[in-house]
Amino acid sequence: MSSKQDSKVFLIGEDNIKKANSRQIPILLAIFFFLLAIGLINLYSASVGNHYFWAQLRNLTITLTAFVIFGWLIPIKRINAYAYGIVGSVCFLLTVVLLLGRIAGGAQRWISLGPIGFQPSEFAKLATAIVVARFFATHKSDTPYRIRDLLPLIAFVGTIFTLIFLQPDFGTAGVCLLIAVSQVAFVRIDIRSIAVILVSSPIIAALGWHLLLRPYQKLRILNLLNPNLDPQNTGWNSLQSLVAVGSGSLMGKGYMQGTQAHLKFLPERHTDFVFSVFAEEHGFWGAFVVFGLFVSLVLIALDIAKNSKDTFSSMLAIGIAFFIFWEFAINIAMVLGVFPVVGLPLPFFSYGSSLLLTVCVGLGLLVSINRNTYGLSKP
Amino acid sequence: MKRIFNQESVLVENRYIWAGLLVFLVSAALLLRLWYLQVYKGDHYQKISERNRVRRIEIPAPRGVFYDRHGEVVLGNRPFFDLVYIPQYVQDVDTTFKILSRLLHVPIRNFKKRLRANSGRPKFLPISLKRNLSEHEVATIEANKVFLPGIEIRVAPRRDYKKDSSSHLVGYLREIDPKTLKKKNEESLSNPYLPGDLIGRQGLESRWERHLRGKRGYRLIQVDAYGRQTIDDDRQWSFPKVAAIPGSDLSLTIDGELQNFVKRTFSGKYGAIVVLDPRTGQILAQVSEPGFDPEMMQTGLSQEDWRRLTSNQFKPFLDKTTGGEFPPGSIYKPIVALAALEEKIINQSTTYRCPGSFVLGDSIFHCHDRGGHGRVNLRKAIVSSCDIFFYHVGVDLGVDRIAKYARAFGLGERLGTNLNMERPGLIPTSAWKQLVHRFPWTAGDTPSISIGQGYNLMTPMQMASLYASLANKGKVWRPYLVKSVTNHIGETVLEQRPKLLKSVDIISPENFKIMNDMLLGVVEDAEGTGKKSAVEGTTVAGKTGSAQVVGLKKNRNQDDVSRKWKEHAIFTAFSPVENAEIAIAVVSQNDVIGGGGRSAAPVAGKIIQKYWDLKKEREQKLSKLNGQKHEQQTRF
Repeated sequence: MSSKQDSKVFLIGEDNIKKANSRQIPILLAIFFFLLAIGLINLYSASVGNHYFWAQLRNLTITLTAFVIFGWLIPIKRINAYAYGIVGSVCFLLTVVLLLGRIAGGAQRWISLGPIGFQPSEFAKLATAIVVARFFATHKSDTPYRIRDLLPLIAFVGTIFTLIFLQPDFGTAGVCLLIAVSQVAFVRIDIRSIAVILVSSPIIAALGWHLLLRPYQKLRILNLLNPNLDPQNTGWNSLQSLVAVGSGSLMGKGYMQGTQAHLKFLPERHTDFVFSVFAEEHGFWGAFVVFGLFVSLVLIALDIAKNSKDTFSSMLAIGIAFFIFWEFAINIAMVLGVFPVVGLPLPFFSYGSSLLLTVCVGLGLLVSINRNTYGLSKP
Repeated sequence: MKRIFNQESVLVENRYIWAGLLVFLVSAALLLRLWYLQVYKGDHYQKISERNRVRRIEIPAPRGVFYDRHGEVVLGNRPFFDLVYIPQYVQDVDTTFKILSRLLHVPIRNFKKRLRANSGRPKFLPISLKRNLSEHEVATIEANKVFLPGIEIRVAPRRDYKKDSSSHLVGYLREIDPKTLKKKNEESLSNPYLPGDLIGRQGLESRWERHLRGKRGYRLIQVDAYGRQTIDDDRQWSFPKVAAIPGSDLSLTIDGELQNFVKRTFSGKYGAIVVLDPRTGQILAQVSEPGFDPEMMQTGLSQEDWRRLTSNQFKPFLDKTTGGEFPPGSIYKPIVALAALEEKIINQSTTYRCPGSFVLGDSIFHCHDRGGHGRVNLRKAIVSSCDIFFYHVGVDLGVDRIAKYARAFGLGERLGTNLNMERPGLIPTSAWKQLVHRFPWTAGDTPSISIGQGYNLMTPMQMASLYASLANKGKVWRPYLVKSVTNHIGETVLEQRPKLLKSVDIISPENFKIMNDMLLGVVEDAEGTGKKSAVEGTTVAGKTGSAQVVGLKKNRNQDDVSRKWKEHAIFTAFSPVENAEIAIAVVSQNDVIGGGGRSAAPVAGKIIQKYWDLKKEREQKLSKLNGQKHEQQTRF
C-alpha cells in the first residue's frame, strides 16, 4: 500500500505527467486583440473632442510590452517566488496613496510620478489573486479547510480590502474580495466554517452599512432601487445610461452617431459608462458579440487553470479569470441599471492606464501559465 | 490536520463546471436585461433620447396685410431688428456689455436687468436686449460683430405703423394675457397661442384676429446635455422645418388716401368722422379722435403713457365712430320734417313765425338765433335751421310719430358694423320714458326731441348712414369695412357684399326729393348754415347741427364756458345731390371754434373736395393707362 502510494508520489513530476500543450494561447491572443480593437474603436467614439483615445493608444504601447514580458520573458515560478514581495509592494503603494489622501485632505486614488499617474488599487486586484494562489500553493491540505486554517489568508485579503476601502473605493475593494472568494470556492471548506460565514456575513454587512459606508455610497445603493428618485443628481448617471442603452435598440444608432454620448447626456462616457456608448451605437447584436468575447475569455482562462500543473498556476489563472469576469459583470450590471454605480471600469473598453496594465499583465500571466508545460514541481 | 505537502493540487475538479455555469448564468441574465432594455423597451428609450436632444424653436407668422379699396397697403408688416443675446455663445458677459453700451449708448445696468429677467431659461434661447434697432444701430453692431460673440440681430415681422395710422380702425396688438390665452386655446387646439404672442385688441386686428394671425411654424434644433445648441455642420443633424403660414390679407372698403386726408384734416379736433358710399354702405373713411399710437402698444407701453391715455377725458381708446353717442342736434330735423310732410301736418307752404322763443306751458324754448327768424316756411326752417318751426311741428306730431320715422331709418339700434364696441344710440318714445325713467312723457319733453336734443342720441356712423339713406331715397345699407379675405395662396376665403338692412317705404320719393333740395339749399343758399362746405364743380347737400351739452343762461354764450361744456359741432352731408356717391358725418366734440356751420362744415367740404379730386386723378391715370395699352396693342 505504502509503496504504491510512494511510487505515485514519486511518479509525479516524471514522465507520468501529461505534457500540457499551449493550444489555448492562440485563441486567447485572438480574443485579447479582438477586445482591444473593439474597445479602442469604441473609445474613439466615446472620447470625441478630447485626448482619451490617443492617450489610451500611448498607454497601449507600454502595456503591450508588459503583456509580452509577463507572458514570455518572466517564468511563472518567479511570480510564485516573489508573490509576497509583490503583494507587499502593492500594500505599500496603497498605504502611500492613503497617506497622500490624508495629506491632501480628501479621497485619493492616484499616485503621480511626473506625467504618469497610476492607481495602485487596480494592481491590488491582481495582487489578491497572487496572494491567494500562493497561500494555497504552500498550505496544502487534503481535509477541508477551516476558518482557523484560512486565518493568514483572511488577514492578507483583509488588509488589501481595508486599504482600498479606506480610500474610499468600495467597488475595487469589493472586486478584490470577490476574486479571493471565487478562488477559495475551488478548494474544500469545512461545512461548519461555511455555516459560520453565512450566518455572520449579514451581521457584518449590517454593521458595515451603518459604520463603514459613507452617505454617498449608501445613496448609490438606494438609487439602484429607484433610479427616478433624483434624476439630476445621483440617479442621473443610471438613468441616462439606461436611455443610451435602450435607445440603441436591436441594431444601434451607428458608429459615432450615439446622441446620448455625443451630446454629453451620458456621464463618464470614457470610463464607467463606456459600454453604454457601445450599446447605443451598435445595439443588441453588437453587445451580444462583446458578451460572447468576454465569456469566451473567462472560459479560456478557466480552461488554462484546469490544464495547469500546479496549485499556484491554477489558482492564479482562476483569480485572473474571475478578475475579468467580475469586472465585466459588475460594470455591465451597473450600466444596465441592476447594480449600484460603484465606479468599476470595463476592461479593454474603459480609458485608464492602470486597469489596462493590470489586464495586460494578467493575460500575460495566463500565457505564461499556459506555456509552462510541467508545473512548478519540476525543477 | 493532516497535510500532504507533495500533493500537486488542492483544487476540486468539478468546481470548474460550477464556475463555468456561474459565468454562463450571470452573463445570460445580463444579456436578458440587455434584451429587455434594447428590444422590449427600445422604442420607449428611443423616444426619451429624442426628447433629450431635440428642442423646438418657434417661427412667428407674419400677420395678414390690410389693403384699401384700390389695392394700396393700409397696414403691412416690416422686419424689426432686435438685439439678442444668446447665452451659450457669449464668452465674457462684462466685456460684451461694455462694448454694447458704448456702441448703443445704453447703460450696462439696462442689459443686466434684461438678463436677470430672463435667467433660468435654456441657454440656446435668445434674450432680447434692445428692441427695434435703427438702421444705423444695426450697421454699428454688424461692423463690430467680431468683438461680440453671442450677440446677434434677429429679424421678426411686426406691424409697420405709419405716422398717421388710424388707430381705432386697425386697432392694436398687445401681448396676450393668461386668461385670454386659456380661453383662446380651448377654442382652437390646432393653432394654439403661446405666452408672449401678440393678439389683436381693437379694431380690425381684433375682429378679424382668426384670419389675420396665420399659423406659426417651427424648426427643431439639437441641444447637448447643457442645453447648448449643437452646431449644424453635419447632414445627419438637419431636421425638418415647418415654415410659418402668413395670415390672410383683408381687402378693405377704405380709401387709403382719403382716410389719411380725413385724419390730417381732423387733427386737433376731438370726435369722429365717417365717410360712406350711399350706394353700397361701404365705409370709405372713418376716424376717431383723439387716438393712440399703436406702435407704442406693440413695443411696450410705459406706466406713465398708460396713465396718460386712460386719464384723458376724451377717451383715446374709445372708437367714437360707432361707440360714441352724441345728441344729433339739428341734423335730426330732416326726419321731423319728413314725418310732418308724410303725416300731412304741414306742407311746403306752411309757415310759422319765429320770435326767437317758444312757450309751452310754463317752459320757454329758445331758437339758436335769439333774435328770431321772422316768418319761416319749411325750406327756410331747414336752410337757416330755425328751431321754433320744429318746436311747432314736433309738438303737433308727438314724440311717438317722430320716433316711428326715425326708427324706419334704423336709428336707435345697432347697424351691425361689428367693429369695436357699437352703441345703438337712442330714439326716445313715450313708452321708453315710462319704462326707463318710470315717469310719463310730458308735453315739455317734445320740443327738445324735435330739434335733435333731449334724450336723442346717435353715433357718427348712424348720422352718416342716415344721410346716405336720405341721399339714396330710403335705402339703409349695412356699413361695412371688409370686402374680402384672401389667404396666403391667394384664395378668397370670405367675401362681403352690400346688405340692405331696411327700405324706408313710409316716406314717398317725392318727399325725399323735396328734402334733398332743401339740404342742397343749406349749402348753396345765401342764408344757408352750411355754406362753408360748398365744393366747386359739384353739388353738396348737408345739414349743420350744434348739439348743446348744457343749456346756457340767456346772457352767456358758447365762448365763455370751459371746453367740457362747449357744444358739439356736427355736419352731415352727401354729394352730389342726385345719385350721391359720398355721405359724410363730421362730429367735432366740444368744439372750441363754434357750431356745425362754423367748425364742422369746412372740414366736410374739404373732404368732399378731396374725394372728387382723387376720383378725377384716378380716372385720368386710368385713361392714360388704357391709352398706353391701346398703343401697345396696335403696335403688335
